[in-house]
Amino acid sequence: MNPSTFPSDFDAAVDAGLEWLTDSSAHVFDFINEVLTGLVQALNWLLNLAPFYVVAVLIGALAWRLSGHWRSALLTITGLLVCAYIGLWSETMSTLALVLAATTLALLVGIPCGVLGGLWPKLDGVVQPVLDLLQTLPPYIYLLPAIALLGYGSATALVATFIVAIPPVLRLTALGIRMTPRSFIELGEASGTSPAQLFFKIRLPFAMPSIMTGINQSLMMAFGMVVIAGIVGSGGLGEAIYGAIRTLDIARSIDAALAIVILTLILDRLAQNATPSQREAQHESH
Amino acid sequence: MNSSVACADEVLVSCRGVWKVFGKHVDEAIEASRDRGVSKKQILHDHGCVIGVSDVSLEVKRGEIFCIMGLSGSGKSTLIRLLNKLIVPSAGQVLVKGQDLATLDGAALRKVRSQHIGMVFQSVALLPHRSVLENVAFGLEVQGVSKHERHAAAQQSLEKVGLSDWATRFPGELSGGMQQRVGLARVLTCDPEIILMDEPFSALDPLIRRQLQDEFRGLTKSLGKSAVFITHDLEEAIRLGDRIAIMKDGVIIQVGSAEDIVLKPADAYVADFVAGISRLHLVRAHSVMSQHAQWAARHPHIDLAALPVAGPQADLDELINLLIQSGAEALLIVEGGQPVGVVTPTDLLRGVQGSESEEGAAVVAPEVQA
Repeated sequence: MNPSTFPSDFDAAVDAGLEWLTDSSAHVFDFINEVLTGLVQALNWLLNLAPFYVVAVLIGALAWRLSGHWRSALLTITGLLVCAYIGLWSETMSTLALVLAATTLALLVGIPCGVLGGLWPKLDGVVQPVLDLLQTLPPYIYLLPAIALLGYGSATALVATFIVAIPPVLRLTALGIRMTPRSFIELGEASGTSPAQLFFKIRLPFAMPSIMTGINQSLMMAFGMVVIAGIVGSGGLGEAIYGAIRTLDIARSIDAALAIVILTLILDRLAQNATPSQREAQHESH
Repeated sequence: MNSSVACADEVLVSCRGVWKVFGKHVDEAIEASRDRGVSKKQILHDHGCVIGVSDVSLEVKRGEIFCIMGLSGSGKSTLIRLLNKLIVPSAGQVLVKGQDLATLDGAALRKVRSQHIGMVFQSVALLPHRSVLENVAFGLEVQGVSKHERHAAAQQSLEKVGLSDWATRFPGELSGGMQQRVGLARVLTCDPEIILMDEPFSALDPLIRRQLQDEFRGLTKSLGKSAVFITHDLEEAIRLGDRIAIMKDGVIIQVGSAEDIVLKPADAYVADFVAGISRLHLVRAHSVMSQHAQWAARHPHIDLAALPVAGPQADLDELINLLIQSGAEALLIVEGGQPVGVVTPTDLLRGVQGSESEEGAAVVAPEVQA
C-alpha cells in the first residue's frame, strides 16, 4: 500500500462500502426509515389530538401526581402555555414526540443491555468501549452516513438522538446492577432464592435509583441533540432554531430556544419525581 | 434411654475434613498443607493461595448452640458460609440433616436453604425499600407462600422478638438492636431447624448485646432450634454456647464446653484467651473439690456430716455464698446421696484463680463427661 495515496484510498473504500450498503440493502433501510418515521409521526399525531390547553393541563396533572405539589403543576402548565403563545406549539409537540420516541427506544435497548452487562462483567468489557466510542464520536460524523442510508427526515433525526441517548442509561443500569451490596446477595442466596428471584427481589430494587438516574440522563442527552437533529430534518423546535440561525432571525431562535428549555425542564422534573428514591425520602420525612 | 435423648444426639450439621482455599492452585496447596505440614505463610508464598479453612471436622447436634470463636482472619466467617454452601468447599464434605450439600442440584439446595438452615448476618441486611413485616416475610415469599399466610407468620415471629408494633415501619426507622431482632424474626419465620448466626451482635453496644444474647438463647432453647453462632468474643461464646470451638488460622484448635475450655485450654493460645474470663459461673464443684476421705483424715475433729451440702454441679458463686453464710470450714459435695468430695476455702480460691484443686481434681475430671 502506498502511503501517499492511503488517505484517498481509504476514503474511496468507505464511499464504495457505503454505496454498496445503500444499493444492496435499500429495501432494508427503506423499511427502517418507514418504521421510525411512522413511530415519530404516530406520537406526534397523538400529542396533537387534543387542543394545546388540554395537553398542557394533562401534563400539569401528571406533574402534580408525581411531585405531590400543586405548584409544580402550575409551573408546568404555565410553561407549556408560553410555548403555545409564542406560536411554537406544534414544533414543541413534534420535538417532544422525537425525544420521547428516541428515549423510549434507548431505554428498550439500554436497560436490558445494561442489566446483562451488570450481571456478566465480560460482556460489560465489550460494551463499554463501544459506549466510549459513541460518546466521544461527534454527532456530525454519523449524521452524514445516516442521511445516506435513511435519508433526510425524522428517521435520521431519531437514530441520531437514539445513539446519544443510549449510553447513560446503559452505563448506569449496569453500574446499579453490579453495585448490589454483597451482604444482600448473601441474604438472597441464604434464603434460597432462585436466580430470577435474586434479580427481581434484590438486585433490581437496589439498582432502581441508578437506573432512574440513567433514564433521566438519557432524556437530557436526547434533548441535547434536538438542535443537531434539526439539521437533518427532524422538524420541530430544532429545525426552527436551525432555520432561524440560517436566516439570522435572532428573535425567533430565542423563542425556540426558550421553548426547548421549558420542555427540558418540565421533562427533567417529571423524570426526577418519578424516581422511587425520592418517594422514599418523602415517606421518611413525614 | 428414651426417644427424646436419642433425638438430642441427632447430628444436624456435620463437616468432614473440610478445606477452603482461595487461589488458583488449590489442590497443591491442600496437599502441601495436609501432607507436608507447610505453614500458611509459606503456602501463600509458594502457591499464591490463602487457606481460609483447614481440615475442619465438626458436628452440630439437634437443640444445641454451637459457638465458633476466633479473631478476625481466623476463617470463622468462611466456615459458617460453607455450612449452607454460600461458599463451596475446596475439599471435604458438608452434610446438613444427612444430605451432602455437594450432591444437591440447584433446586434441592434452595430447598435446604429456605427450609432447613437459616442465616442471620452481622450487617442484618434488611431490605431498605420494604417494611419490617415484608422483610420478616421474605423467606416465605421466596418459597411462594401466599401473601396473607406469610404476613400472618411474619407477624407471629415479630411477636416472638417483641416487635409486633413495628410491622409497618421501615428498617431505617429502627435502632441497631431492633434491626437485629428483625433479622432474627426473619429467620424464625421460615422455621428452620438450624440457624447460622454470623457475628449478629458484634456491632451492638454491650448492654443491648447482653440482652439480645439472653433473648436469643431463650428463644433458641424454647423453640428447640440448633444454632451455629460465630463470634470473636469469648464471653459471648461462653454465655451462649453449649459447646465452643476455638478457631485460629483456619484450624479448630479446641472444641468443648465452656468449662472444658476455661479449665483445660488445649494450648497457650487458648490459655491466653481464657485468662481474663471470670470463673465464678463456669467452674463447678466437681472440678475444684478435694477428696473427702483425705480431708476428713487431716481434720479429725470436724464431723463430715455436719458440713453444709452442695451438689457437684454447683458453681463457684453458689459455693462461696454457701460457705460464707454457713460459716463452716468446708462444704461437702454430695451426689446421689453419697459424699464425693469436699470444697475448702483454698479450693475455692484456686478455682477463682484458674488453677485446679491441689489434689484429686485430675482424678475426678474425667467423670465430668459421663
